[in-house]
Amino acid sequence: MNPLSTLFNDEYQDAPLKRALAQVIKMRDTGAKVVGAYCSYAPVEVIWAMGGVPAILCAFSNTPIAKAEETLPTNLCPLIKSSFGFIELKTCPFFELTDAVVGETTCDGKKKMFELIEKHRPLYVMDLPQCPANEGAGAYWTQSVHGFKKFLEEKFATTISDAALEESIRDCNRKNRLVEEIYAFGACSPSVITWQEMYDVSTFAMVSNGEETIAKLQEIVAMLAERKAKGVYSSKENAKRVLITGCPIGGDVLKVLKLVDEEGAVIVGMDSCTGLKPYAGEIEEGSGDPVKAIATRYLQIPCACMTPNTGRYEVLKKQVESLKPDLVIDLVLQACHTYNVEAVKVESYVRDELATNYLKVVTDFSQQDLGQLKTRIAAALEMC
Amino acid sequence: MPAPSGIVAVTLDQLIIVAHFDVSGVFIKLAGIDIGSRSIEFVLLDSEGYEVVERFQTETSIDLSSQLSLIKERYSWDHLISTGYGRQLSQKVLGGEVITEIKAYATSAHHFHPEIETVIDLGGQDTKALLINQKNGQLLKFEMNDKCSAGTGKFFEMMAGSLGLSLNELVAAALQGNNSIEINSTCTVFAESEVISLLTAGISLEDIARAIHEALLKKLVALLSKVTRPDATAILFVGGGAKNNALVQFLSAAISKQVLVPEYPDFYGAYGAALTANILHQENL
Repeated sequence: MNPLSTLFNDEYQDAPLKRALAQVIKMRDTGAKVVGAYCSYAPVEVIWAMGGVPAILCAFSNTPIAKAEETLPTNLCPLIKSSFGFIELKTCPFFELTDAVVGETTCDGKKKMFELIEKHRPLYVMDLPQCPANEGAGAYWTQSVHGFKKFLEEKFATTISDAALEESIRDCNRKNRLVEEIYAFGACSPSVITWQEMYDVSTFAMVSNGEETIAKLQEIVAMLAERKAKGVYSSKENAKRVLITGCPIGGDVLKVLKLVDEEGAVIVGMDSCTGLKPYAGEIEEGSGDPVKAIATRYLQIPCACMTPNTGRYEVLKKQVESLKPDLVIDLVLQACHTYNVEAVKVESYVRDELATNYLKVVTDFSQQDLGQLKTRIAAALEMC
Repeated sequence: MPAPSGIVAVTLDQLIIVAHFDVSGVFIKLAGIDIGSRSIEFVLLDSEGYEVVERFQTETSIDLSSQLSLIKERYSWDHLISTGYGRQLSQKVLGGEVITEIKAYATSAHHFHPEIETVIDLGGQDTKALLINQKNGQLLKFEMNDKCSAGTGKFFEMMAGSLGLSLNELVAAALQGNNSIEINSTCTVFAESEVISLLTAGISLEDIARAIHEALLKKLVALLSKVTRPDATAILFVGGGAKNNALVQFLSAAISKQVLVPEYPDFYGAYGAALTANILHQENL
């Protein structure tokens, strides 16, 4: 394999979160308000339309969990504990930069955790209808988006015009299409993009927007196209291919992805909120009702908090068909009941309908299960 | 082919050749080593008839590297595969290739018992249930215990210790006990306090020993239920835990299926590794 060109030629190699932090600080220095968000349901178009910048507050480090467990139950989702622990320790650089925070009622743990942090920052919690196909769900969620817009307008004494929202929708659609285009290179065999690079792109695009960002993403597309044309591969020929699906991942839980690397397999896609999920799909442009258009797209996000979550299977089918994985790893964070239970249906769908091997991994941010995970992942790959 | 038999396991201190087969001409020696958390099993097979040339078992020590070096000094082989949790270190010291114990168990189970599709392995720190395609031996599905040692062989050791019994005494007591009380936890820490409470409540050792088995049994049954097809009539029980005849008896009753225990259930990982080594041998021909 030839050495790969660096997609981000900057000082943040192997540190995508630091790159994102620098991006948020850069925006803040120009006067942008920083609005912290906890998941992909946060309609970032509204934040961008205000001239603000979103900051992702979901944390994936084991370090602050001990602190969090002084307050929160041990058998809670590590993402919630980690995010909360950082806030308690005042060591989350993203949270420290925020002027306001938006939460969504995706899960019970997060919902109640928001009540514990509202003393620190102005907080708006968007109530997410969890039966998205039910009558009135769309209208209700549209109201939530309106509520969030109003919250920002009042908090920062500003007005977010429909024209600004339309422009923000166009910008984000452009950006999202480019991120999708980058992830589509995962279909190449041998691979031309690593999971670290996919993760770099997702993390960067979350906090970036505008012409500079578009130019950067276009440059990345061109670099990947060049790798493909020149046969510069990031994986060995015939390396077994793995699609990651499930809970959001980052930081210490990347241990699972690293174990896949150790076994000589290659990750070809990441179907999660820290992967492609927030960038898939488009918001209708020029609809005349931008808030409704935004709400409509966001309610289509196939998170396991939804029931039924039919979109998840559509996405999996599309991704398995294009990326041709040998194995789907369903990564569930400890105590994430929705993803854990949904795994029952996902497993039968992947095995029976998509005729692809499947492995569910339930883990947290600690290193205690590394040995067992290594065996399970290696065994699942041996089966391919 | 029936499972190899008639050979006595020895410890590493008695590194002696326990069996030789009269083999005419040159045979290729296939080695399999299974480094588990509690014990190491090593086998040498000949590639012609898969006859066991050598076999030994020893406890896994803290100084695993030295143990492995000793094996390297004493034995020779043409192809070796390491398996078990210590497989990576074993590969560093002994060379060869590695496979997971899951693949190793599936390989040996299908080789020696082609009629079997469900396998359960109760090891020192892991419990695994496997579903194998009877036609071609392909592993279709596997399940493992949670990350702690609840529901593994270690649980029995700890519980025997809490009762001041040896493992054999615990098993013998369980066979005498009634299934009258329940231990709710297979977490060794919680179960130990339950056991102590039961002792102080005057419950007999035999009934407690039985309850300890029943607690672990529930775990095994749950794990098996994730892979067993409804029409399966028999399962294969391997790993050190299969030597617990009380557990075997209780398991068979609990799942209403025949439970097959081969003569050397704890060697199935090493057998599987050695059998897989033959594939390497064939590829190199």
